[in-house]
Amino acid sequence: MDVLTGWWDDYFWGALVVGKVFLCSLGLMILFGLLGAMAKLSNSHIAHKVAGAYTVVFRGTPEILVILLLYFGSAIILTSIAQVFNPAIKFVDVPPFWAGTIAISIIVGSYATETFRGAFLGVNPGSIEAARALGMSDLQTFIYVRIPEMWRLALPPFGNHMLSLVKDTALISIIGLNETMFVAKQAITVTGKPFTMYIVVGAIYLGFSTLVTLFVMGVEKFGERTTVGAK
Amino acid sequence: MSFDLQLIAESLPMMLMGIGITLKLLVISGILGLLLAICLLLMRISGRWYFNVPAQIYIYVFRGTPILVQIFIVYYGLPQFEAVRDSVFWPILREPTGCAILALSLNTGAYVSEILRGGVLGVDKGVLEAGSALGMSAHQKFIYITAPIATRLALPAYSNDVISLLKSTALASTITIADMTGIARTIVADTYAPYEIFISLAIIYMIFTFGLQKLFGVIERYLSRYTKREG
Amino acid sequence: MSEPGKRPLIQMQNVNKFFGKFQALKNINLEVQKGERIVVCGPSGSGKSTMIRCINRLEEHNEGHIIIDGNELTNKVKDINAVRREVGMVFQSFNLFPHLTIVKNLMLAQQLVRKTSKAEARETAMQYLERVKIPEQANKYPIQLSGGQQQRVAIARALCMKPEIMLFDEPTSALDPEMINEVLEVMVDLAKEGMTMICVTHEMGFARSVADRIIFMDLGEIVEQAPPKEFFDSPKNDRTKKFLSQILSH
Repeated sequence: MDVLTGWWDDYFWGALVVGKVFLCSLGLMILFGLLGAMAKLSNSHIAHKVAGAYTVVFRGTPEILVILLLYFGSAIILTSIAQVFNPAIKFVDVPPFWAGTIAISIIVGSYATETFRGAFLGVNPGSIEAARALGMSDLQTFIYVRIPEMWRLALPPFGNHMLSLVKDTALISIIGLNETMFVAKQAITVTGKPFTMYIVVGAIYLGFSTLVTLFVMGVEKFGERTTVGAK
Repeated sequence: MSFDLQLIAESLPMMLMGIGITLKLLVISGILGLLLAICLLLMRISGRWYFNVPAQIYIYVFRGTPILVQIFIVYYGLPQFEAVRDSVFWPILREPTGCAILALSLNTGAYVSEILRGGVLGVDKGVLEAGSALGMSAHQKFIYITAPIATRLALPAYSNDVISLLKSTALASTITIADMTGIARTIVADTYAPYEIFISLAIIYMIFTFGLQKLFGVIERYLSRYTKREG
Repeated sequence: MSEPGKRPLIQMQNVNKFFGKFQALKNINLEVQKGERIVVCGPSGSGKSTMIRCINRLEEHNEGHIIIDGNELTNKVKDINAVRREVGMVFQSFNLFPHLTIVKNLMLAQQLVRKTSKAEARETAMQYLERVKIPEQANKYPIQLSGGQQQRVAIARALCMKPEIMLFDEPTSALDPEMINEVLEVMVDLAKEGMTMICVTHEMGFARSVADRIIFMDLGEIVEQAPPKEFFDSPKNDRTKKFLSQILSH
């Protein structure tokens, strides 16, 4: 395993990038998911259709395609815009980090839309009625009754969405993101050991997956402490 | 930035030439993956730790690491070993298509086995007890009671996985395979027209997904015929 | 009720069963002769279901002996299957195979366990469907039948295996009131034909008219057993009296 000496540093920084992508995309994914779910649950016909198109498009399109489209496509748009201001500019690049992060957030967000929607629908209507009868406002009902029940229902599938985010990060290496896959590519040209290098990448991702899974289990326990056993 | 319709008209047939490869990857990996999934399932429910634990580890590893990493390990990584290069499998493992099919099968096998297990766990225990009381053996109960019911229960989740598999076939383009995505990327590299090409490609995949959903809908309706009150 | 010299069909000797630390059956001793009709009653948690489920090994007893028609019930699959061939069971929740038509429900075990031919299995199935008075439902699926019909099918399914003993685990408890009678009627007919049966039930009317012996269980023990007249009119044990007063008051 001494072929790996000297590379541990690079892998470490690569792993940090994976972590950064995860955290940024997590927030965006929740945002997109909630917006989509709200749109689907709202009374607006248009919102319905738009959200419907959102879920159909991004659940039916390969992730790599979305990443490529966003990366190359946004570069073209931004370059055109920039050339309006300064015709000398030849090319405006979107950092792969952001192109990739936004892409995977949009994709997993479309799955999260369905999850959140299902969770909102799964809230016990009796609880809502009780809150209304007690005189709570819509906002209060939403915050104190709907959300607590809803996140518990959404948690198991949401955990899977988080795992998807972790794993989709590897795809961003295709557009040049300097994370672990990238490190492996470089290491291979130097050491000539592709199996070893990619196994390390796999192990790092497995580590992240394990952390996410443990985290979800912990949150599930936290959620259960007030709802289970209260019979 | 204009939308070059002529480019789309020229590129579509080229991309559709890749559909044969996409289908090949989908069908062969799907079938091999399903066979593997059934083996893993039987290992998981065997009740013997020396079957159960290895199966669990396999599933954990393959579901916890990105499919792209798995593809790279098989295609770039395995040739690192002389034993592989000398083996009887080398003609398959030397080709990117063979590697892609192998990696996709190994990956989908892990996911599908858990889906099947979910179906098996969903079978009403009382109905199995009735089988026991009638003197049926464990084998007979599995074949005549568990399997038919579990298949119906697992179908929705399985159809989702097949769609995921379709999307994963696009990753074959990263190891030089000329599937639809591979051809598209080549065209984009030549023409710098990511929008026209990638959006058309996305539409092709969405149509494909739609077709798969319809197909599974038919199968689901057939399998659910005994769950409806109206004859 | 044992006739001297005649071997009982069912013998339970000093049977104990534990679920973890909880003792579900305490020192059960029971003999059932061929042709006897036994009703087992008692409060919930008394072990009545557990006891009859031990007879066909759906539960495993931890201590003691259970001997069915001369075969001792052990861990050996051969022994268990030998017993299950002789013992039929009807469940509270019917447990029909949801994915098979009614007639296939009745044929499956015959073909797999008794290795009967398809034609013969079908003939037997239709015969018993006639017995329980619903031959016209043969090609429907269980979900299309009412609860009472499903339970009658369940009885027919058990009878197709030509068992020596029939066990009923609260067969009418999950039924709407108007359907209870159609099932009890079938059970009464069965009793009249001399089937050896053990029935866990709350239907005291049925017990009074059909049972040879009523067994009262509480907290895992057999507290009292007696023929119906004696059981209802002059119960000996205080716990029996308490139970009877509770269930017969409405």
